[in-house]
Amino acid sequence: MTAKHVFKLWMIRLCGVATLAVTPALDITPAFAHGERSQEPFLRMRTVNWYDTEWVGKSTKVNDVTELKGKFHLSEDWPRAVVKPTRTFINVGSPSSVFVRLSSKVNGTPMFVSGPMEIGRDYEYVVKLKARLPGHHHIHPMFAVKEAGPIAGPGGWMDITGRYEDFTNPIKTLTNETFDSETMGSMTGIGWHIWWIALGIFWVGFFAIRPMYLIRARVLAAYGDEILLDPIDRKVGVAVLVLTLVVVVVGYMAAEAKHPISVPLQAGEAKIKPMPIKPNPLTVDVIHAEYDVPGRALRMTLHATNNGTQPVTIGEFTTAGIRFTNKFGASRVDPNYPAELVATAGLTMDNEAPIQPGQTVDIKVESKDVLWEVQRLVDILHDPDQRFAGLFLSWTDSGERLINPVWAPVLPVFTRLGA
Amino acid sequence: MFRTDEIIKASKLPPEGVAMSRKIDYIYFIPILFVTIVGTFHMHTALLCGDWDFWLDWKDRQWWPIVTPVTLITFCAAIQYYNWVNYRQPFGATLCILALGAGKWIAVYTSWWWWSNYPPNFVMPATAIPGALVLDITLLLTRNWTLTAVIGAWMFAALFYPSNWPIFAYSHTPLVVDGALLSWADYMGFMYVRTGTPEYIRMIEVGSLRTFGGHSTMISAFFSAFASSLMYILWWQFGKYFCTSYFYITDDRQRTTKVYDVFAYATLGPQADKAKLSGGKA
Repeated sequence: MTAKHVFKLWMIRLCGVATLAVTPALDITPAFAHGERSQEPFLRMRTVNWYDTEWVGKSTKVNDVTELKGKFHLSEDWPRAVVKPTRTFINVGSPSSVFVRLSSKVNGTPMFVSGPMEIGRDYEYVVKLKARLPGHHHIHPMFAVKEAGPIAGPGGWMDITGRYEDFTNPIKTLTNETFDSETMGSMTGIGWHIWWIALGIFWVGFFAIRPMYLIRARVLAAYGDEILLDPIDRKVGVAVLVLTLVVVVVGYMAAEAKHPISVPLQAGEAKIKPMPIKPNPLTVDVIHAEYDVPGRALRMTLHATNNGTQPVTIGEFTTAGIRFTNKFGASRVDPNYPAELVATAGLTMDNEAPIQPGQTVDIKVESKDVLWEVQRLVDILHDPDQRFAGLFLSWTDSGERLINPVWAPVLPVFTRLGA
Repeated sequence: MFRTDEIIKASKLPPEGVAMSRKIDYIYFIPILFVTIVGTFHMHTALLCGDWDFWLDWKDRQWWPIVTPVTLITFCAAIQYYNWVNYRQPFGATLCILALGAGKWIAVYTSWWWWSNYPPNFVMPATAIPGALVLDITLLLTRNWTLTAVIGAWMFAALFYPSNWPIFAYSHTPLVVDGALLSWADYMGFMYVRTGTPEYIRMIEVGSLRTFGGHSTMISAFFSAFASSLMYILWWQFGKYFCTSYFYITDDRQRTTKVYDVFAYATLGPQADKAKLSGGKA
C-alpha cells in the first residue's frame, strides 16, 4: 500500500467521523407531530367536521384532572372509499399515554367500548384526562372508524408540569379494593415470571452442564440413543413434571381464593343517540366551487335562504379542524383555539351584509390562506374524487349560532386569474 | 451421577476434541442458537399473537387461550425436533420459550416502558414455561414424538390459562365507572391511551364459543389443545425438513448417493479422498 493510498484511506475515515460528530449538532429536536397533515384531505374534510374543540386547562400539574371536549358533525358527503361509521371510537391522539383517560362521554353516554354513529348527525364529546407525564404535548381528539382507521381532529398544545414520580391513580373496585393503575399486579406478575424462568433455566442448565451437541451427535450416529438417555434425566424429568403441575394447580387455586369475584372482559357496543336536530332557518347550498392552486384559495358560490325571522350573518367556514373567519366570525373564535389553525382574515364574501328574513341570495365566498398549503389540504387535487365538505357558521342578530354543513365537487384552477 | 464419561468415551474423541466440543457448545448454544431464537421466535409471536400478548385488555377467555398456545407451540416443535433427533436433548421447547421470554422482557422494558411509558402491569407478557417443561418432559419420558403431539401438546395448551391465572386474575376484578361495568383490564385499556389502537381493534369475546353455557374458557382450552396438537405435528415436520443434514457422494463408478449420516464422510476412510461431493447441504 502506497503512501497515497494510506492518505486517501485516512481522509475517508476522517470524513466519516466528522459527519457522525457534526450530525447531532445540526438538529436533534424531538418530533412533535403525529402525521396528521399527511392524512388525505378527503379524510379530514369529508368525514368528521370538528367544531367547538376545547383543550381545558392548557397547563396542568401531574395528577390534575382536565378535559378535552368539543363537538363534531359526520359529513353527509362521507367518501365512498371510506367504510361507513358503523363501529367507531372517540380516541385521544397523544404522544403515548401522557394523560390517563378517566372517562369519555359522547352525548352524555359513556363510551368505553366502540359503537355506531350516524352520518349527517352531530355529537358532543367530553374526555376527562388526568395528567401523568410532564412535558409539552400535542393533543388531538380522534375519531376512529373500524376498517377505515383513526381520523385526527385539530391538535392543541397542553403542558403538564411536575414529576412523574408523584403520579398516582388509585381506583376503587366493586370488591372494595383500591388498585393503583401504575403498579397493580406488577410485582405479582414479575414474581411469577422469575419463578418460571428460574425453573426453565434449571431444566436447560441441567443438560447444558454436560456435553451438549457434537459429542452426543457422534454417539447417537454410532450407537443409537441408549447410552445418551441417562436414567437420572428421567428421574429429574419426573420431579420437574410433578413440581410444575403442583405449582400450576396451587397457583391457580390461590389466585381463585384471592380474587373470587371476577368478570369477563366487557366487549359490548356503545349505543349513542345523536344530538337532536336543531331547527335551522338558514339553508346553504354550494352551487359552484373551485380551488385556486396558485392563490391557495377555495372559492365557492353559495345559494342561501333565510327562512327565519332574524337577519343572519355568515362568519366562519371550517373544515379539517381549520377555521377561516371574516371579521365578524373572528370575534367569536375561542381565544384558546390554536392560532396556527385559524385564518382570521381568511374568509371574504362579495356581499358581507346579513341575509335578511325571507331573502335568498347567491354569495361568492373565498376562503384563502396559506393554511391550505401548510395543512396539506391542497392535496385534494390528487384525489380520485375531488370534492370538499365543511361547515358554515353564522349568527342571528340575537346571537344564536347556526351551523350549515356544505359539500360539493371542486374544480381546480391552475393559473392565476387574469393571467 | 451422570453418564458423561461413558458418553465421552463412546464418542471416540481425543481429549482435545472433547475440550473443543465444549467450546463449540458454549459458542453455539448462547450466542448463536439462543439469540437466533430470540430474534425469530419473538418476531413470529409478535406478528401472530402480538396484541393478545402485549395488552392486558386483550387477555380474554376465548381468543387469548387459543391463539397464544397455537402460535407458541410452532417453534417449540421444530426446535424440539432439532435437539431431540440430532442430539437426544429434551429441552427444545423450554429453550424456545426462555428465548421468547428474553425477547419479550427486553421489549417490555425498552419499547413499552422506556420508549412508550406504559406501566409494566399493562404490558405484562404471559408465561408458557410450565407448558414447555411438560412438553419437553413428555418427549423425554415417551421418546416418541407422536405421543408428545398427543399428550404433551395438549398439556402445553391446556396448562396455558391456569398457569397464567395467578398473574392476571386481579385484572378481571369488576369495577363501575360512570355507571358502566368494566373489568379492571378493560379500564386499564381505556385509561392508557393508545392513539393508533382504538377499542374496536380488540379481538375478544367474539364468536359462537360463548353459547356453550358460559364455560368458554374450558371450550377454548380444549380447542386450543386440539389445534396445538395439529400444529405440533406440522412444525415437527418443518423441523425435520429444515434440520436434516445430508450430502451427495459420487463413487468411482459415477454412482451418486444421497447420504444422511453426516459423520459418514469422516469415517469413509481412504474412499473419502476419492469420493466426490456434489451439492446437498451438510
